[in-house]
Order: sequence, then C-alpha cells, then structure tokens
Amino acid sequence: MQLCDLSAVEIRDHISSKQASALEVLESCLQRIKQVDGRPGELESGPETKEDTERVHAFITLTEGAARSQAEMVDKMIANGEDPGLLAGVPATIKDVFCVKDTPSTIGSRILANFISPYTATPVARMRSAGAVVLGKVNLDEFTYGSSTESSAFQPSTRNPWNTGRVPGGSSGGSAASIAAGEAALSLGTDTAGSIRQPAAFCGVVGLKPTYGRVSRYGLIAFGSSLDCPGPLAKNAKDAALMLCVIAGPDLRDATGANVPVPDYLELLEKEIKGKRIGLSPDYFQITFPNLETGEYTQQPLPIEIQEAVLRAADVYRSLGAEIIEDVPMPNTRYGIPVYFVISRVEAASNLHRFDGVKYGYRTSSETDDLKMLYKKSRGEGFGLQPKLRILMGMYVSAAQYSEQYYQKALQVRTLIRRDFERAFDPSGKYKLDALLTPTTPSTAFPMKDVYGDSVLMQYADQLAVPANHAGIPGISFPGGLDADGLPIGVQLLGPDFTEGVLLQLTHAYEQATLDAEWRTIRPAVLKGM
Amino acid sequence: MAEYEAVIGLETHIQLNTRSKVFCSCKADSWEDPQNTNICPVCTGLPGVLPVLNEDVVEKAVLLAEAMHAQVQPISYFDRKNYFYPDLPKGYQITQFDKPIAVGGHIDLPIPETADPEGKGYIRNVRIHKLHIEEDAGKTKNARNQRLVDFNRCGVPLVEMVTEPDLRTADEAAQYLIRLRQLLRWLGISEADMEKGNLRCDGNVSIRLKGSEVLNQKTEIKNVNSIDSLRDAIRKEIDRQIREVEKGNEIHAWTLDWDEDAGVLRKMRSKETEADYRYFREPDLLPLMISAEWKREILKEFPERPLDRRQRFCDQYDLPVYDADILTLERGLSEYFEEAVKEYQGEPKKVSNWLMNDVLRMIKEQRLEPRAMQLTPAFLAELLRLVDAGTINITTGKSLLQIVQDTGKSPAKLVEEQGLAQVNDDAQLGVICSKIISEHPKEVSAFQNGKESLIGWFVGQVMRESRGKADAKMAKDILTDLLNK
Repeated sequence: MQLCDLSAVEIRDHISSKQASALEVLESCLQRIKQVDGRPGELESGPETKEDTERVHAFITLTEGAARSQAEMVDKMIANGEDPGLLAGVPATIKDVFCVKDTPSTIGSRILANFISPYTATPVARMRSAGAVVLGKVNLDEFTYGSSTESSAFQPSTRNPWNTGRVPGGSSGGSAASIAAGEAALSLGTDTAGSIRQPAAFCGVVGLKPTYGRVSRYGLIAFGSSLDCPGPLAKNAKDAALMLCVIAGPDLRDATGANVPVPDYLELLEKEIKGKRIGLSPDYFQITFPNLETGEYTQQPLPIEIQEAVLRAADVYRSLGAEIIEDVPMPNTRYGIPVYFVISRVEAASNLHRFDGVKYGYRTSSETDDLKMLYKKSRGEGFGLQPKLRILMGMYVSAAQYSEQYYQKALQVRTLIRRDFERAFDPSGKYKLDALLTPTTPSTAFPMKDVYGDSVLMQYADQLAVPANHAGIPGISFPGGLDADGLPIGVQLLGPDFTEGVLLQLTHAYEQATLDAEWRTIRPAVLKGM
Repeated sequence: MAEYEAVIGLETHIQLNTRSKVFCSCKADSWEDPQNTNICPVCTGLPGVLPVLNEDVVEKAVLLAEAMHAQVQPISYFDRKNYFYPDLPKGYQITQFDKPIAVGGHIDLPIPETADPEGKGYIRNVRIHKLHIEEDAGKTKNARNQRLVDFNRCGVPLVEMVTEPDLRTADEAAQYLIRLRQLLRWLGISEADMEKGNLRCDGNVSIRLKGSEVLNQKTEIKNVNSIDSLRDAIRKEIDRQIREVEKGNEIHAWTLDWDEDAGVLRKMRSKETEADYRYFREPDLLPLMISAEWKREILKEFPERPLDRRQRFCDQYDLPVYDADILTLERGLSEYFEEAVKEYQGEPKKVSNWLMNDVLRMIKEQRLEPRAMQLTPAFLAELLRLVDAGTINITTGKSLLQIVQDTGKSPAKLVEEQGLAQVNDDAQLGVICSKIISEHPKEVSAFQNGKESLIGWFVGQVMRESRGKADAKMAKDILTDLLNK
C-alpha cells in the first residue's frame, strides 16, 4: 500500500493534516506510473512489444512539470496555513478530450495530435483551483468514438489493469485504468453513451455520469453535444462525491448548463437508506441486438454472473431497509442504441466540420492549390476509421431527403426513452422509484482486439448505459463483484434529474455494507507485489 | 410587345450594433481594426468551445420585429447550417431555420411621385416573410497565391429579414431599402450603412405578364453595396429577363453577381439544385424563450415608427408631405420639431420652414445632433416669437440662429445684450428718416416728380443707417409722410 493507493479523501486529509506532502503523494504516483504504465501512447508507435502487452498505457501526455509546481503550491499554502481547496494535493488524470491550456489536447486523433490548447476547460480549471494536482492527459477512443479505447490513434492503447489482455473499456479507458492501477486518485472523464460507466465497470472503479447540464461542457471537445456529460471516475463513492462538489455547477460559458444549486454531496452520503424505493427492470437483464443479415432483433439474457451481482446488490439494499420494486417496465430500452446511432452521428458529423486543416491541427503535407483538395486530404489523412464512419453515417441520416425518416424519428423515440424514466420515477406514479438498479454492461471486459473493428457489436456494449444519456438523467457504475475470470462486474444505478446525491449515497451504502466481501481483497493484476 | 411586370423579393442582412458579438464577448464592430484582433476561442471555433447567446441581440431583433409589425415568437430555435468554407471556422453557421424569432409583418411603403411612372405617388404594401438571428462569417481574400482569412467578423450578430415577393419595380426596391435604413437608425439598432456592409441586400427578381398571378423562375442578385446599385442592378435584370422572354428563351435560376465598376450583372453559378446544409437544431443553445414580460420590457419605450410619425405630422400639424418627410427622416430631428412646435404654440408650418431652410443646413454643415444642440427647440420657439412680435426682423432672427447655437444664450438675452431690437420708436425713426431725406435732395425731387418706386430705395437707406434694426414697415410710413409733405 503506497500513498498513491489511498483514496482522494484520504490523500486530501493526509495533506491537510501534514501527514504527507502533496509532493510526496505526487512522487508516489509518478513512481507507480513508471512501474505499471509503460510507454505512453504515440502516433508512430512501431510494433507492439511483449512488454507493451503487460503495461497499462493510460497516458498520452504526462505533465510532470506542471504537476510538480501545482503540488509545491499546495504544500506552500498548507505551510502558510491557507486552505488549498477541496482537492488539496489530490492527483488526478484528465481524459484527453478536455482542452488544457499549453498542453497537447489530442482527443486521441492524428488530426489534433499537434494541437496545444490556448485555454482550459471549465471542469479542469475548477479541479485545479480546488488544489488538484493534474498529472496529465490519458488515452481514449479516437474522438471518444468507441468502447474499448483501442481506436485511439495513440498506441499502444490502454489495457485493463486487472488483466492486460483485456480492454479497459471506453471511451474513458485511460481514466478508468489510471484509477484502477493507482496512478491517480481521480480522473475526469466524459460519458456520451456510457463512456464513463462502462470503463469504470470494466476496471472495477466508480464512474458517475451526472445529469446533463450538471457539469459544464466548456472545453470538452464535442462528440454528441446533446448527450456529452463530463463526470468523475474514482476509487469509491465518497471520492466521486468530493470531485462532483468541485466540478458541478453553472458556468457562464455553457448555455446548456443547469442553474440548479450544487448540494454538499459528501454530507448526503451519510443519509438513511431506509424507505428508498429501488427498481429492477427485466428490460435491463437482457440485450436486444439486430441480426446484421436479416435486420431482425434478437434478445439474449445477460451472463448469469452479472445478473447475480445486481441481485446481490438488491439484497444488500433490502437489508438496509430499502424497498425493492421488481418488474418495472422500461420498454424503450431496446431502442437506445439505434436512436443513439442516428442522433450522435448527426451531431458528431457536424462537430467534426471544424477540423479542416485550415486553422489548427493536422494539415496534409501534400501540395495542393485547391481548397477542396486541402479539405479532403487533411481530413482523409487526419481522421481515423471511427470518425470517418461517423461522418458518413451522420451526413446520411441528416441529409434533407432522409432526415425525416431517421433523424427526426430518432428524436421522437428519444422522447419515449425519457418517458420510460419519467414514469418509473414519477413520485405520484405507480413505481415512485428513487433509483433503478441495473447491470452497467452486458459483459465484463472483453479481450483486446476481440470486438474491435465491429463497430455495431462494439456499440451494443453500451446498450444498458445509453438510455441515461438520451434521457439526460444521472447514472453511476460501481464494482459489484468479480466474475469467474477475476474481472470486475459493474452495477449501475439510474436516478431522476439532479439526484446524483442519492446515487452516490446508495453507492456509498453498498460499499460500506460490503467492506468485508472477499472479492474486495483482490487487487488488479498489475499491482501484484506492490 | 406584351406588358410585363417584375416580381421582386428582398433578403436583407442587418448587422446589429451591439457592443459584443452574438455568441462571445469579443467586440462586434471591427471597422478599421487590424485583422484577427477581435477574436477568441469561441468565435474562431476552437475545439471544445460553446456559444452563449447575447441578449442584446435578441432585444434589438425584437425591436425590429415590432417595427415591422411582425409576430415575435414566444419560442424559437437555433439551428446549424453545415458547410465548409475557410471563413466559417466551425464548419457550420449558427442560424435560425424553421422556427425563427419573428414571422409575418409588413410595411406600407410610400412611393414618391418621382418613382411613379404616372407621377402621382402611391403606397406599396410589402409583406415580411420572416426575421431570424444568425452569426456572420469571417472574410477571406486572395493575395497572390495565398488565401488569407480574417475572423474579426465571425460571430457578428445579423438579423436576416426576408420580404414576400411584393415589390414591382426597381424604384420600389430602392424605396424599401431607404425606409429600412431610416427605420434601423431610428430604432438605433444598426448603423445601416450599405457601404460598410452593415446593411446588405440580395434581390430575387422574376417577371410575368401584367395582371398574371404566377410566380416565374427567379434569379438572385448578390453583392450590391448601395441603394443606387440595387436599383440599377434590378432594372438591368428586369430588362434582361424581358429580352430573353421576348426572344422565346427560358429564364434560369442563376445567381448574379453585381460588378460595381462595370455596372453589370455576371452569372455566378447556376442554382438548379439547392445545396444541402443538413440543418438541425443547435444542441449547444437552449430554445430561445421570449416571455411576455421580457417582450414588454424590451418594448417599454418603443418609439412611434417613422412612417407613422410622418403621417401624423401631416394630419396633426397640417404639414405638406414634403415637409413631413424631411422632418421625419431622422428621429432626433422629428423630436426637435415637435418640441419646438409645442414651445412655440404658433403655426407649425412656420417652425417647419425655419427648420428645413435654416436649422437643417446648420445641422448638416456642422454635423450637429439635433438632440444635443445649444439652439434648443425652446430657444428656436423663443426666437420665432421675437420675430412674430416684431421685436426683431426676420434677417436678425436668421442671423441669431448661429449665435444661439454658438453661445448657448437665449435669443431674448442676445437681443438685449447686443441691442438688436428693431427701431420702432416713432421719434427715433423720424430722426433717421429726416436725415436720409435731407441728405438726398436729388432722389427726393425724383420721387416728388412721380418716381414713387424710389420709396423702396429710401427704406433701404433707413435700414442701412439703423444697421438693420429699423421696422421696415414703420419706416416706409414715416418716409411716405415726409416725402408727401
């Protein structure tokens, strides 16, 4: 157990009480990174070595110098009796989807590999001013388009600390892996269709997707603007609560931000579970996917281990005095992925327009005096497979002659998905749920290269996560055990708008009630002997 | 030859004179600023940035909508118009598409006699199709083999206002722009200077047989940068279309570029198929809600419209249309006039005469702002009353205008200080008259021998002797008396 293995709250308390300095914590993290991370992702990475397959590769850019000055500043403030803030000296990683001033902000793509941002994203700025020590930028799927981090242009891509033959999930794979491997205590990720929750589930950490608008998107390189949510990845609910306190709240630079007061999430953690109504829905215990040949939908129950983990969690809540409501119908869950395919692509294609080789980022080196050729070559050479696929799809379904049957239709179905939740959460309705308890993912971490390349199948890994993005509601994933392969299983809680406090509280209660569970004594494989 | 009429619709882009841009806090007006100096991450479309709507833009758009009698929508939306161009850094323009801020509306355009083939003048009712808010793009220019981009104009707020195809002549189109420009300045929402590009206009032109109701294929005229050019361009395009149709040719949906130097229209591109901009709702902005309360607040001090005021000046003050038109060209002048009339309490036409003949010249020559003049409406009224009362004569009155403006002193005070009052004291005037008569025996005998027209000459001598202060009428009476003795 090193300093870097402590939780964010513990680190903060150690530093505030001068049991450890921010610099000592930082050194511990740097040491851990050196031990487990291997070489950082890069564009021209050469062939994969055996050593590469045994390392985590969470980072794209390690900003050691900036981290050191920040840690020194925190220590100085502590020495002067000043309060450096809620995250005093807490080491954190930032998914490389956020712009950070004077730092490469690559979004895992060749097209932005040389982009050094002149400004800092709001959530990152808030973490820094609360005393967080930002270690650097971590890997992700290119433009966040994926669920395994393998599509990053920066290779080697991140591997799962529990088993480096497995993916860490994605797109916030670097974030989740950096927490699981003890390289940092907190990470800032984004969730457009499960991109915080799914890697959190795969890597055995807590990941919270806040309500849409709860955390400012300013400085987050947009994917699906109506779906994107920045949020914390952390070792436990308390740490996630701490970080949310810092990053949540209105921002004058984000017009879609919610003007809703930010509660003290830490205080809410300790509230009573008794009387809470927690729902289970059969629609979340199966996945529905199309047969690519026939287009027919097939249903398949989830692996029994995953189902059991969720039911065990339900038992825990029941034993704490919560009421478990079964058979809550969520009939539109199955449309989550198709609707997402349409909406996110339309927004993504438009959001990618700005990467044209004119102002910043990659520009083709081939001579061209024709503007159209400049666009074509720069974009053709700069974008990887995923952005190209999404541009094609997005352009197609938003074209004037198809928009009505695809995009407009998808927007309507999105409303229906939201309605499922409204009905389940309606305080005067039939179910009156405080939260819906579900699995986070239909499987545990799959092997590297197994699903990669099949972008449809890859997408179905997000089927249970994406409805929350459509509905704009908060969701959290927390570890609920290990499967037979020793891989973490993620359990998900979904709640009404702005009930992050309740979700964190329920997660915390589960953690406290299962402190002695045997699976909690098992650590990720890369930490063996540390 | 058959008789044709033109069918013209205008699409205007109005640059609002807000302090900052529509979605960021950069300075909006970059006139004469160096390139790329009023820019930030937001208006240059850096990765990760978000637009935040400037409320001032909404308020000014609402003012314009109200002035056009358009219906301001309680809820409207922003959309993305996607296309690639180097001066469009995001690769899409934020605009309003199917749910704009205001729809409908109209303006009753007075067409002056000079623009009426029948020489009578008439009213043309022009309906407004819609008004929407959008952001401007930057500028590109070619320099040798380089293409340069200036982002200063990116994000400058525009209102696009589109008329129905209700205009019938090039003169009517010009009148529309003249009245629009007047209105924009009246409301104080745009500098409305076509040459600076803060009022831009594209014209859609088609022709049809007079009396027909069909809408034929139209062409679009772009890049006109003055009202005269618009008139000229439309006139030429109507003539061209008539020639083509007479020759039995078809009109194609061309976009025509006005070449100002050559004074001709050039074909830009054929527009048979419309580009697909893949419009969809801008997810980074919330729907624009304009509550009844906000609207009321915006329109709290909404002024009388210039054309309404023009009509009222005719009705209420019995002014000729010519006077009313000039007095309402500019809001400050119209307010000046009304206040002066109120202070004066005499014949409004007299105030109008003084304003149009003399004060307006001062305003123009000295670039004065009517509302800020030292020659206040109250002073002008006072001056007119001094003339009416015969305390000063008209010549003195007129020369006093500039003195009041320069000194800020009241006309009455100036008359007293400088001894400008008319000499209308019988005795004093009698002395001057006698003096003149005794000094000019030759003229006296000529007069007495029947050359009575000399009386004017004698009055002139008296005026000169009194340095203009003599009451001319009284002087004439005394002189006549003395000469006929």
